[in-house]
Amino acid sequence: MATPAFKNQMASKFTDAFNRLNRGEQGISGLITWSQAWTTVNEYLKPRDIKDSLYRRRKRNKADFDGARAAFAIIVRCRQLALVLEAFLDEIRKNFHLIEYEINEYMVRYERDENVELIRMLVSRLLDWYKAWAPPPELGPGVAADYTLAFQTRLFSALPPSFTCGFKSLCAWCLSPEEFPPSDSLSALTPNMGVVWRDFEALGLIDRYESVIASVGYERIEKQVVEVCEGNWAKPMMEELRNWMTAKVVPWMLQIYARGASSTEEARSMLQGVGSRFDFHINKTLCDLRTREIFDIIIDFPDSMGALQDLKECLQRVDQRGALVKTLRKANAKRLLHPGADTKLILSQYVATIKCLRIIDPPGVLLFKVADPIRRYLRDRPDTIRCIVASLVGDEDSGDSLLDDNEPIQPLQQSETEDYSDPMWEPEPIDAGPEFRTNKPSDVISTLVSIYDSKDLFVKELQALLAQRLLAIPEAEIYKVERERRNIEILKIRFGETALQVCEVMLRDMTDSRRMDGYLYRKWKSTMHPIVISKHFWPVLESSDLIMPGQFQSMQESYSKEFSLLKPDKKLRWLPHLGTVTIELVLQDRKLEVEVPPLEAAAIELFSQKDTWVVDDLLASLGNVDRASVVKALATWVNMGVLKEAEENVFVLLEVAEEIDENAVVASSAPLPAAGQAMAPIQTSQQQQAEKMRVYWKFIEGMLKNLGGLPIDRIQAMLKFVENYDQSIEQLGAFMEVARRENMVVCRDGVWRLNT
Amino acid sequence: MKVNVKHWHAIAYWRWDTGNDEEADADGEGDVCGICRVSYEGCCPSCKMPGDDCPLIWGECSHVFHMHCLYKWINTAASKQQCPMDRRPWVTAERAV
Repeated sequence: MATPAFKNQMASKFTDAFNRLNRGEQGISGLITWSQAWTTVNEYLKPRDIKDSLYRRRKRNKADFDGARAAFAIIVRCRQLALVLEAFLDEIRKNFHLIEYEINEYMVRYERDENVELIRMLVSRLLDWYKAWAPPPELGPGVAADYTLAFQTRLFSALPPSFTCGFKSLCAWCLSPEEFPPSDSLSALTPNMGVVWRDFEALGLIDRYESVIASVGYERIEKQVVEVCEGNWAKPMMEELRNWMTAKVVPWMLQIYARGASSTEEARSMLQGVGSRFDFHINKTLCDLRTREIFDIIIDFPDSMGALQDLKECLQRVDQRGALVKTLRKANAKRLLHPGADTKLILSQYVATIKCLRIIDPPGVLLFKVADPIRRYLRDRPDTIRCIVASLVGDEDSGDSLLDDNEPIQPLQQSETEDYSDPMWEPEPIDAGPEFRTNKPSDVISTLVSIYDSKDLFVKELQALLAQRLLAIPEAEIYKVERERRNIEILKIRFGETALQVCEVMLRDMTDSRRMDGYLYRKWKSTMHPIVISKHFWPVLESSDLIMPGQFQSMQESYSKEFSLLKPDKKLRWLPHLGTVTIELVLQDRKLEVEVPPLEAAAIELFSQKDTWVVDDLLASLGNVDRASVVKALATWVNMGVLKEAEENVFVLLEVAEEIDENAVVASSAPLPAAGQAMAPIQTSQQQQAEKMRVYWKFIEGMLKNLGGLPIDRIQAMLKFVENYDQSIEQLGAFMEVARRENMVVCRDGVWRLNT
Repeated sequence: MKVNVKHWHAIAYWRWDTGNDEEADADGEGDVCGICRVSYEGCCPSCKMPGDDCPLIWGECSHVFHMHCLYKWINTAASKQQCPMDRRPWVTAERAV
């Protein structure tokens, strides 16, 4: 139902439109010319297949556009340009299948041949399409922009996923053409790779695939870093990588990121952002690589100085400290801290770790974090102290010492409280944990000794080791005592004079015994050359009830007598089971000269009195020695063919050598080497510790019996009342733990009870 | 068979001959000086080397001390030149054995 008002409105609209199109011409002649112009324009703009040669020629023809110019002017005057544009874009949509068809054609070939050349050809072909369909520039930038947008939108949605891969390899080819199979058409391009990039730019591919292009750069960097730097630790690589970057990557970057720069200044500022991103990536890749390799780098130290320098530099830019610590801890746990690794090896790796991480991170935060598990592990190993002490003393048999010869010998540094009045004081690094102790760059030995809470343990172990070495020194090599003395002098600087006083006494005992022995020898040609020790200053030596029989006993007695004449106030007490004896056995058909432990000598001495012995009788004649060692001593002689086990537990002397019966040798119990004193005569400090605690067991037992369960600190507090009790609560704890293992006590919720 | 000893590398420790062997051996620790409570074979608090450098001194009263310990004691006014153990005048014995 049209109301009159509506009709009026429609009429005026129609008149307006008509007037606009007719432009005030007579009749409808204006309308006719407009209609002609519309057709011309649409015909002109209509996108067609560029394979159509006529179309191509017309496009290039300037005159052709002049013909259309009048028509465009009419359209513009009638303000119909927007409609034309709309129709034009619609035409593009309708005709885009032409392009899609070609894209498909190229991509199918590319997927088959994987030849980057095809991608480049496709790109230039697409550019041809783009140019052919472009509206004349006279229509203004707005139209051009709309066209570009519509074309690119269509294009991007038409490109298949495989194009991205192809595009990426094309970029990679631009970066390093030498890595692709040579191809004539591509090589022809090489000097002018800028053209390729200009084509990309025109099609809007650079903006669209920016991340792809960047990833090409990143991948190239990663490849280069791994190729050049992996396993190559001798010298810093950073400089070399930067040079490579300048020579290879920067020119490539210039084409992409600094396109259109008019001066080097401009180019530089355009490159700044992306350049620093790439530089960061070099740092990060190198850092990752070195982090992966860190364990082996440390093993190689000091031949891996270069790698450490790199890592230090990289870590300043890349925040990878956490990752480094994690990787190294993991590598240590996997490759170092397991039962298969020798303690000595762990120690030397630890020392190398200390040195390496101090180069990377002088304040020592990284070291602290990495070292913690190693130190904890070492603390649990029973032979750590022994190893450290052995390296302190400088065992000549172990080739490389933990110590650096150049390192000045200095007193052990105790961890000190911070000196806040120090003008050079610096706060702890920000990533230091709460337990971090400022680790002043102290020497390696101080660090090793600080694995344990006190240095007393070391001194004890040192003493035990020294005792062992001193007692083992044979007469002929007496000069070795002087070397021990030198070692002790060096150690005195570290541990302090008083701590090593005991060792001093031990050394003096050695020289005194030698002097006295020399005197007595001149006087009385004794074959006995004892070392006389001051018992309280030596580690606890195993006691034994061995009684030396026959001539040995008389030798002991006469030596003691001579000694008492020389030193009227003193008496000798023999430790008969220690030392060595060189004896000559004169048998009917042969002579034998051997060096054996005293027990073996004592046993054979008994056989010189009687040819056949039952083991039990032997035991009785030798004093109260344990049966196993006597059997072992006999086995030594059986092995040498001097004795024979005639029947079980009965041994017979072989005055005439027997043909060695193969079976007999096999049957004889445990053939052991003659000098094979399996157990060292000196107890380790741990054994001594346990020995010491055993005295207090009675007290602990009584306490627990009377008072029921007690926590460890109560036990400690009560033991403090006992005279001479000097054990720490940790030592007590360790002892209680041993007692628990022997099922003497139980522990529940920290309360100890007797096991009933 | 004959056994000829060519060489014997033996090990022994020394003790002061204080005349009461059996008792000393019984507890295994030996006697201590009544003044410093350190064993005779150890050394007095002012010495570092045991043995001939820190000898013992025997009294007529049968008490034995580190010589340095006893001299220090005798030199104090409070000692009145007496043996610290039995308060008899200190007389050094010629030689115990």
